[in-house]
Amino acid sequence: MNALVLKLPPYLQIKRVRPATLLVAALLLGVAVAIQGGAVSVTGSDWLSILGLGEQQGGAGGAYVLWNIRLPRVFFAVLVGASMGLAGALTQGLFRNPLADPGLLGVSAGAACAAALTIVVFSGLNLPMPISWRVWLLPAAAFGGALGVCFTLDRIARWITPGSIAGLLLTGVALNALAAAVIGLCTYLATDEQLRSLSFWTLGSLAGGNWALVALLAALLLFAWWRVRQLVRAMNALALGESAAAHVGVDVRHLRSHIIVLVAVLAGFSVAWCGMIGFVGLIAAHLVRTWVGADQRQVVPMSMLTGGLLLLVADTFARTIAIPAEIPVGIFTALLGSPFFLFLLRGARGRIG
Amino acid sequence: MLMKTSMETDLMRLDCVGISLGASSFGPFSLQVVPGERVAILGPSGAGKSTLLKLMSREWKPASGQVFFKGQTLTTWNLSDLSRHRAVLPQSSDVAFGLQTDLVVGLGRVARAHDPQLPDIVEACATLAHATHLLGRRFDTLSGGEQARVQLARVFAQLWDAHDGLILVDEPLAALDPGLQFDLLDSLDTYASTRNHALVAILHDINQAMLGFDRLLLVKDGKLVDDLPCSQQAVPALESLYSISLSCVTDIQGSLVITPMRKAVRRLSAAGAIA
Repeated sequence: MNALVLKLPPYLQIKRVRPATLLVAALLLGVAVAIQGGAVSVTGSDWLSILGLGEQQGGAGGAYVLWNIRLPRVFFAVLVGASMGLAGALTQGLFRNPLADPGLLGVSAGAACAAALTIVVFSGLNLPMPISWRVWLLPAAAFGGALGVCFTLDRIARWITPGSIAGLLLTGVALNALAAAVIGLCTYLATDEQLRSLSFWTLGSLAGGNWALVALLAALLLFAWWRVRQLVRAMNALALGESAAAHVGVDVRHLRSHIIVLVAVLAGFSVAWCGMIGFVGLIAAHLVRTWVGADQRQVVPMSMLTGGLLLLVADTFARTIAIPAEIPVGIFTALLGSPFFLFLLRGARGRIG
Repeated sequence: MLMKTSMETDLMRLDCVGISLGASSFGPFSLQVVPGERVAILGPSGAGKSTLLKLMSREWKPASGQVFFKGQTLTTWNLSDLSRHRAVLPQSSDVAFGLQTDLVVGLGRVARAHDPQLPDIVEACATLAHATHLLGRRFDTLSGGEQARVQLARVFAQLWDAHDGLILVDEPLAALDPGLQFDLLDSLDTYASTRNHALVAILHDINQAMLGFDRLLLVKDGKLVDDLPCSQQAVPALESLYSISLSCVTDIQGSLVITPMRKAVRRLSAAGAIA
């Protein structure tokens, strides 16, 4: 019997594939598919051309689309998704709660609200300001809005109902409603041109992606990742509860404020450049947790990868499903994410309160 | 000179420590704990036992007075350093997200950046806490008793390679069955005595306190009413602490067994009602 067992040489033995490896492979495959798909088809000669090897130097037609639109868009989608996945995992770890997400808790809405106020009110003031600063105005405002909501949440939710999931989500509902009201007011007061910019934020789209933003976001994500790597061990301790985490030597207040600033940076910047794209962070972190367990040292990096993959898939569908038109990806993620959230609530039955 | 020697012998010292929470105020508490000592805190519900323990663990900062740990003011300790000398076993044991039990036990040592022996220590702590069979399971799938064992193993891991430390225990055993209570108190005692850790525990069972501890701290109405060694002489103080009568019997093994008696007044009136 034993003789029948096929003995493979060591290099052919199938080792247990690590989930992270699997995710990276899926992401690479996704990127490859996403680059090929779109209104303008991309051929092999276009690839050679953008690498400087083809006949049409400088790029025209397909090569132009590939280099200036398709590639930055695809990378942008992956990076934005990754920062949303990271923000989602951090928020859930911070509030010790699998239902927390920057979108649900109003952090994204707060960022969009600040951006809307900037577009409508600030531009009306006609302040003398160097042109080079204007690029940073919206991201800075969105970051400020996200940070404000994060701290408010942290304060109010702990003050009203310490440790309660319901209290946290209800505070998020209230902040979301407030932000929506301010955005609505801005919409009402906006001129036609401002209205166009505003609808961009409320719908959410990755169409603004370019190489400069890709580089910037990549740098931002690298920085966040570097910070998070130092925090993940302590974040595991946070699951014990705040007092127990302090007892095992974690400076909880320090940890909380660091996570809050990171979440605000990630959520604020992705909102500033892409508008409100919901549910990616929530779903990514949740999928990862059911897959590899709750250890934050794995959940956090893998939520980044999963978030990137999810948003890439969503964006690829959004821009190819109705060629040549393009559905805003925020609508797409909300369409898929809301039922998923209801599904999660079903699982949390009896634990909310 | 006298001050200095007292600081060297004390592991923890509370000097007139008080705190106000809402309408009720607690303290002033003044007491010492010496290394290797086993102290039981007893008192009626709501008397301030947990408050006292939280002041000792630095969870709450005192409004007045000072707490010294190893001769240094408790609030000036670096949290990570403190965690290597003082562990706390909390009353409730809720762990979010259903972490794996071995990870929960290992979290006792999260403050150590480099910890090569971690897997061995986790294993040894689980063995001591009777939790070896629970390793590898999700914490949220465990029963109350199993969760208490895992939390105890976490506390063991925290002070595994330390000496002369302090373990604070907030009545974690109240909800467990008597056999398990005995087992866990026993392993806690073994663990603490081999490392000369002092043990301060809130208890509800007078006999547990009398059997396994050296000293009693009696807390009532937010005050420390008595601080006395465990012996039969403590019985009158315990009677007034709980406002009940206690009967003392010496069992076959020679240890003291204390049981509450019904109040004489009630029995008389009941007898009267029958007559």
